[in-house]
Formats: sequence, structure tokens, C-alpha cells
Amino acid sequence: MNGAPDKIVVVGRDATLWLAACVLRSALKPAGVEVTAIELPTRLTPADLHATLPALEALHGQLRIDEAALLRATRGAFTLGQNFADVSGATPAFFHAHGAYGAPIDARDFFPFWLKARGLGLNVGLEDFSLTAAAARQGRMLLPDEETEVFGRTDYGYHLPALAYAATLKTLAGRLGVKMHQALAVAPTLDADGDIAALDLGEGRCVAGDLFIDASGGEGVLVSALGVARESWRDFFPADRVLRAVGPRFAALPPYADIRAWARGWVGLYPSQAHTHVSQVYAGDLCTDDQALELAGRISGQALTDAVVSVSDPGRRVEAWSRNCVALGEAACAFDPVHGVALQAVQLGLVHLLSLFPVSGQFRAERAEYNTTMREVYERLRDFQSLHHVANRYAGAPFWERARAADASDVLAHKIATFQARGEIPPSEHETFVADSWRALLVGHGLTPDTHAPMIDRTSPEVMKSEFRRILSFIKEQVLKQPTHDLYLESFC
Amino acid sequence: MQIDRTKRVSPPMGRLKVVIVGGGTAGWMCAAGFSRLLDPAAYDVTLIESDEIATVGVGEATLPHIKTYNDMLGIDEAQFLRETQGSIKLGIEFRDWNQAGDRYIHPFGTFGEPWNGVDFQHHWVRAKLAGREVAPLQAYSYAVAACRANAFEFPNQDDKSIRSTYAYAYHFDASLYAGFLRRWSTARGVTRIEGMVSGVERDGQSGHVRSLSLKSGATIAGDLFIDCTGFRSLLLGGQMEVEWQDWAKWLPCDRAWAVPCVTGGDGVTPYTRASADLGGWRWRIPLQHRTGNGYVFSSQFIDEDRARETLLAKLDGAALDEPRMLRFKAGRRVRGWSGNVVAMGLASGFLEPLESTSIFLIQAAVIDLVNLMPTPGEGDRMDPRLIAEFNRFFEIQYDRIRDFLILHYRANSRFGEPLWDHVRTMDIPDSLAAKMELFEARAHLPDYKYGLFSRDSWLSVLEGQGLMPRAYDRLAESLPLDELEAKLRDLKTRIDSNVATMTGHADFLRSYAPGERAPVLASVAS
Repeated sequence: MNGAPDKIVVVGRDATLWLAACVLRSALKPAGVEVTAIELPTRLTPADLHATLPALEALHGQLRIDEAALLRATRGAFTLGQNFADVSGATPAFFHAHGAYGAPIDARDFFPFWLKARGLGLNVGLEDFSLTAAAARQGRMLLPDEETEVFGRTDYGYHLPALAYAATLKTLAGRLGVKMHQALAVAPTLDADGDIAALDLGEGRCVAGDLFIDASGGEGVLVSALGVARESWRDFFPADRVLRAVGPRFAALPPYADIRAWARGWVGLYPSQAHTHVSQVYAGDLCTDDQALELAGRISGQALTDAVVSVSDPGRRVEAWSRNCVALGEAACAFDPVHGVALQAVQLGLVHLLSLFPVSGQFRAERAEYNTTMREVYERLRDFQSLHHVANRYAGAPFWERARAADASDVLAHKIATFQARGEIPPSEHETFVADSWRALLVGHGLTPDTHAPMIDRTSPEVMKSEFRRILSFIKEQVLKQPTHDLYLESFC
Repeated sequence: MQIDRTKRVSPPMGRLKVVIVGGGTAGWMCAAGFSRLLDPAAYDVTLIESDEIATVGVGEATLPHIKTYNDMLGIDEAQFLRETQGSIKLGIEFRDWNQAGDRYIHPFGTFGEPWNGVDFQHHWVRAKLAGREVAPLQAYSYAVAACRANAFEFPNQDDKSIRSTYAYAYHFDASLYAGFLRRWSTARGVTRIEGMVSGVERDGQSGHVRSLSLKSGATIAGDLFIDCTGFRSLLLGGQMEVEWQDWAKWLPCDRAWAVPCVTGGDGVTPYTRASADLGGWRWRIPLQHRTGNGYVFSSQFIDEDRARETLLAKLDGAALDEPRMLRFKAGRRVRGWSGNVVAMGLASGFLEPLESTSIFLIQAAVIDLVNLMPTPGEGDRMDPRLIAEFNRFFEIQYDRIRDFLILHYRANSRFGEPLWDHVRTMDIPDSLAAKMELFEARAHLPDYKYGLFSRDSWLSVLEGQGLMPRAYDRLAESLPLDELEAKLRDLKTRIDSNVATMTGHADFLRSYAPGERAPVLASVAS
């Protein structure tokens, strides 16, 4: 290829395919870039759902996706975070909210004040200082206004039934002028340099392109053909199977997901307007698929239908961008199901690709930069999931014992150690989760720092106490003003 | 991994005795920071300094972060400027780095503004490559225009105004600043001990520093020692024997002559000047009462006498003293904190003052250390986890600046001069090579959250040193070229018309913070 790539071919399926096609087309259309999508047969079933992180809202904004229309079309719901519970009842439940925990006191971070107060006998949990968590627990939305903006961050994600979400994106791709083909399989043709020249779609059809996006999922049809090796993260995560199913809709829709750990895995309940989507995540050698289904029903308390089982095999391609092919989604990196980071990874892959999108036929520097950056992005996401495993306290359960003994990166080990020493989270470049999220998880898993940041000791105990009271009463007052999730969805969609 | 959940038990009460050794800028910035941020009931701060030891402090010029530090301390800006003979700094002018006669400013502000969600430099490169009417990049920075106009006013608080698109730092007399902070700190509980350290007693088992003996015979014991002894690195280098990481292969300058002079030339400019010259570069730092000058050079490429003569010949006013020689090596200790010793300032590393980073490094280390301070009551039992985090940041800070400095050397066009030919062709760190390549290929700028410098700073130096992107982000094409040209014209008009109404820098200083007009005798640019 001599000039800058003007013809992008995205091959894959489902949300990754259509998100990539929409984002690339809408951003690069003014530059005269054509996008062709080759749709492979879907792997989705009615049981699949995306539990998304807050950043997706901004991406939808760029694509001019109307939120109300999206939730109406997908029968999706809002999520203010995730509740983590232990069915054995041995450890208390905790909430990871998409919002701030506490508000600054004397212009300093809230967390060390809470730590100090805990040491002095305060009996109020960290999440009780989170407006977002409090609203979620009461089944309410959290609509930000001026007052709450001053208080702190209050974000949300979505529960988006995956089939409907992919369909919505596909419609948008059509409107944006993405060319579309369908194929049962594709076979890349390489040119003399070893770059991809074209794709054979079967039935005598062939699509040529300058830059190829592999959004085909775990098998990575294009990256595999290019011989890109895969680094397994098998040793970081104890689960290797996922069962997904649907149950009836909750009468009152919780604005959050409920994640319930049991001895051989965990069950996630993700409410949407149509159903409750249930995942059972487990290790095949500890639990058969039949047991998994039966226990998913029992633990979720739901009559489940449409159950399907798939393999979970976390790991990363050593190069997300190889030659003239960029892998996105599972083709680049497969994640454990916990914390729903998959779409976030797709989004970040697209954001970084756009900022480095080739301007000529020579893009070695862009590729190198992209691969360095995305490796960090993927590993930091993995670390957050990994913390959930290594820090769990579920006793007498083989799955969780394995989780505790699982691998953790040095970066994560350093984060945990610094937190245990001082309550601070060492910042990393390319980090998705903010310090509040890390702390919610660390505290939730019962890790308590030995000391707190000494700067706060110049604030008098009286000021600290009155600020605590102010925060708690503000939360109480604000939560009562909020509509319930159901009411809001009714009026909104 | 197996997480160790054992709690480290600290005695409920106790004090930590912190001993700062050395009373230059580093020592007193550290003392002031501790006395402002730490609870006096828990931390006992002592500083030992000797009037017999001259301080170094090449950095009279600073970065905007210093204002945050001073504000955090609660220092009155006008009083501080009066008492340190301070002036305002909006950037650094680089002269002759490319070819003789070239000049550009690294401003403490932005270039233009993003349009259609695409950074300014892409639009600028695009207009240029399209042959449209476009001014030099420098013309699109408000701070640069203010420097060129020798003007200053406080940045506007309204972030929609073009008059909000910059920050400012100071030039000041570092020894006056140290004195200012000394008065400030001792008034707030820091104990100052006058004395020369003559011996160090260490614990036989842990190797930690137990106490220092002074020439006077006194013994000063402590739990945590802060080494602010300058190049000597008395404790971190001398006692803890923390290895030195040498960066001379990238930054070959190893000497500097420093001399103050009567202010002449362009007067009290609101910017520092760094002029490339044979075998090194010269600084010019205008204060209210005099101008600080220096010649940083590599003894491999120019001899000391010649550098001295050049410096004196090129002063823009009468010299106020004999030039003084400083010797140094570029590099850092592999760790800033070892055992119970933390080094700050020159005791921890040295980077030539090309980008005025030395005071920033001190300030960053003080804040990091305060956050990671050992717990009172534990004595000198240090927590290795806190030390690890301190050292991680210490490395990031130094290494980021290192790359930025090397860029100035690497991307020069002073052909035919041995030092400049050498640095243009030397191997550079991969981390820097990648940044230069991406800028040249597509106007892409380094973007990181932790450590200096910002994208706009990189832009000013990459472009200023003569690197011109061959292409730009294709997302910029969402803006029609005619519209782009109009936007560029409007931006420049907004900058020029606003700068035209600004107060002159000298007038600003006279009305806001006039320094005492005391005759200056033997105070060398310290």
C-alpha cells in the first residue's frame, strides 16, 4: 500500500463489529475513508447482555445515539454499579458504585478521613458515603444536578441486551454509510509482504482493503492467519466456563447488578426491562454444566430459560495491531466476565486507533505506540478483575481458594501493598478504574490499610465529624428526591 | 499471590523526628512543606545548616507548579516577590538552538484550541501543508505573544477567555527564597541548628542513620533523615551508597559558570532565555535588581577559560561579580529513598537547568514524601511498601524530564560544531525516539498523566527545534479549509488584540511587588 488507508474492512460479529464500523466511519468519513463491514454469523443468544461502564455514554454521544431511544429499543436498563454478596453469608456484601465515595474535606481526599475515623470507632461503612451507592440500594436513579456535581462524580452504565444492542448499532452503521456484506466465514489473502490484501467471503465474493479490523471474537480469524501469538491469562482466573440464561423481569427493577459468590463460582444477575439476565461463572472441573444451571436457578431465585454455556479463556494477543490488521474485542483480548470490562476494552481500542489512525502507507511507529498503549490498557483492566479474585475471603471453597492463589501482576501486587500500607492507590497511566473504584473493591474484600495519609491530621476531629454528618445528611436528602429506576424508565423511554 | 492480611501494629502515640540536613532551596522548601502539611504533634522537624557551606541552587527560574506550592504554604505572593527580588516568568526563550538567529518560546500556556475535538497542532499543520494563509505556530500562543510584548497580567479566571490560556512561574533569587522560607518555617515550629556535620553514626544491624555529630560536639539523633546536602549527597550517596545512574552519554554538559550582571538588553523580560552556544548554552534570568547569567557547557568540547570569556563577553550589562564555577554530572541516584534517608534536590540527582526543573523536582519529592511519610511512633522502622512507591515516582519524574531535555540537544541544526554534531547523532532513549518519530510522521504529541511535560510543552520544543510533521490527524479534515483559515485568523486577532492591552511586565512589578533596591555586592547567582 502506498497512500494512507482509505478503505477499512471490519470483519466480525455483534457489538464489537458494529461499534468499530460506526466509530471509524463517523470519525473518518470527512477524510474520505470508506468502511466495509463483513458480518459473520452472530454468537449471541437472548441470554447475552452487556453490563457497561460509564464511559460508553460519551461514545454514544459522539455517535449521536439517543439514550432514551437506545433503552427503548434494547429494553435495557441503567446500572449504578454492582453489589457483591457472598451466599455463605460469612462476609458482608459491598457495593462498587459508578460514583464518588464521600466528598473532599478541607480540600483533601475523603478516603483517609474515613480510614482515620474507622480507627477511632466510626461504624459507618465506606459505601454509606457514596451518593450513587445509596441511591442504587434504594432502587433509585441518580440524576445529577448542580448540588450533586459539587458533591462528586455520579455516573452510570447500562445493562444492554446484546442482540438488540447489536441490531441498533447495525442500523446506525447503515445510516452512516457503512457498506455491508454477510459471510459464513472469511479467508484472508496475503500480499507478497505478508500484509492482508483482501478477504475471500466465499461464493466467489472478495473484498479488498487497506486496513483490516478483526472483530471476529476469540478465534481472531485475521490475526490468527497472520500468526499473532496469544498470551494466556489462564493462571489469573479460576473460571473457565460461563452459563448464561434469562429469568423473568424483576417487579421493581434494581438499578444495579447483583454478583453472588458461591463455593464453586459466582452468579451475576443483570436486570433489564425485559428480563433478568443471569450468568453463572464457574470452573468446569469443579462443577458440571447441569449443576451450574441448577445452582444458577437456585442462587438467583429465578426460573431460568434459554441457557447456553460457553468457554471463558482470558488472554491477550501479544500484538493487538499486526501488519495492517488491528484486532478489537476478544480477538485482541478476552477478559474474565467479572466487572463487565469487555465493551470498555473495545471502546479504548477504538479511541487509541483513531488517535493513531495511519496517515500514510507507513505506520510502523503508530503500530508500535498502539501496541504499547493497548497492552497497558488491557493489563490494567485485567488487574482490577484480578484483584477481585486474589482478595476474596470465601472460606472453604475450592474455586475461591484457587482464586486467592491465582497469579497477580507486579503492578497489582504493588497497588495492594501500597493500599495496605497507606490507603493510597498508586496511579498508573492508562488506568480505567479510578481510585474510588479500587478502594471500594479493596475495602469490600476486607483489606484495611495500616495507616492513613498524614496530611489530614491537621484537620480537627470536630471539623471531620461535622463534615461526615453533612455528607450523610446530604446523601439522605438527595436520594429521597430521586425517582425510582422504574418510574424513571417509564417516563424516559 | 497470597495477600498477607496481618496488620502492622503501630504504637498509638509517638513522634517522628525528622532531621533535614542542608539549608539551601531543597532543605527549606522541605522544611516549609513539612511544617505546613504535617501535624506538629506527630512530627518534629529539625534542619541543620552551616553558614560555612555555600548553597548551589542553579535554578532561579521555575515552573508554574511553584505557585501551587507557595499557595499551599499560604505565602503572600507580592511579599514573596518583593523579598526575593522576583519577577514573572511566562516561558523560556530558546535562541540559536536550531541555527544561528533562530528563536522560539516554550510557553507556560496552550497553543490555540481544539476544534471539532481535534488538537490544534493538527489543524495548523494541515493549513500549512495545504498552502493556506497561516502564521508561525508561535503566533497562536497567548503566552508567547505576551512574552514578545514584555507584558504581564494575571490569567483570567473565565476559562472561555483567551486570557485564561496560560499559567505563570517566577524568577527569583534562590538564596533569598531559601532565607524567606527559613523565616517562614522557623516561625512555624521548625528547629534550625547552625552547624557542620562532622560524623554520621549508623545502626550496626539495619544500617540506618542513627545520628549526626556536629563540629560543635553536639549530636543530633533522628528517625528519618532528609539529605539536602547538594552534590555531596552526604547521606544517600555517601552513607547509604545508593548507586548513581549516569546520563552523561545523553547530556554531556558537566560545568557551568554563573555570574550576575546589571540588567540590560531586553530588560526584565517575563521569560528566561537559554541561548545555545559553542559547547553548551547560556542562561539569562532577569530579576528585579539584577540579571542572573550562566554558561552550561561540556568540558569535553570547550575549555573552561573560553567558556568564561564567552559568558562575560555576551552579558548584556556590567558583571556584578567574578564568575563562579559549578561542576556536575547529569543523572540521578537509582533510588531517592533508601533505609531512613530520603534525598531531595541535588543530593538525589542533577539535570541541567535548561527547563527549570530542579525546584519542581524538590517540590514533587516533598509532596510525595508527605503522602508516604513514616508513621510516628515506629521510630526508624521504615515501611518498605511506602519506600517502593516513593521510588517509583522518583524514577518517573526524573526519566520524563530527561527525555525532554535530550530532545533539545538531539534536534539541533548547529552543524559543524563538535558538541552539537555529537548530540545530533548520538543514540537516544527509545522512549524519546518514538515520540519524535510520531510527531514528525503525524503531529502526534506525547500524552501522559504523570510527570512533566504537557502536550503543549512538547509541541513547543518539537516544533521549535525544527521538526515539522509530514502529516496530521485525518479527523482534522472534518473542518472545511476555508473555515479553518478563518478560525486561524480569528484566533490570532483575539490573541494580538488582547495582548495589546496588557500591562508591561516592569510596570506590573513596580506596582504589585517592588523589591528593595539595595545595592548588590558579592551575591553570585546562587
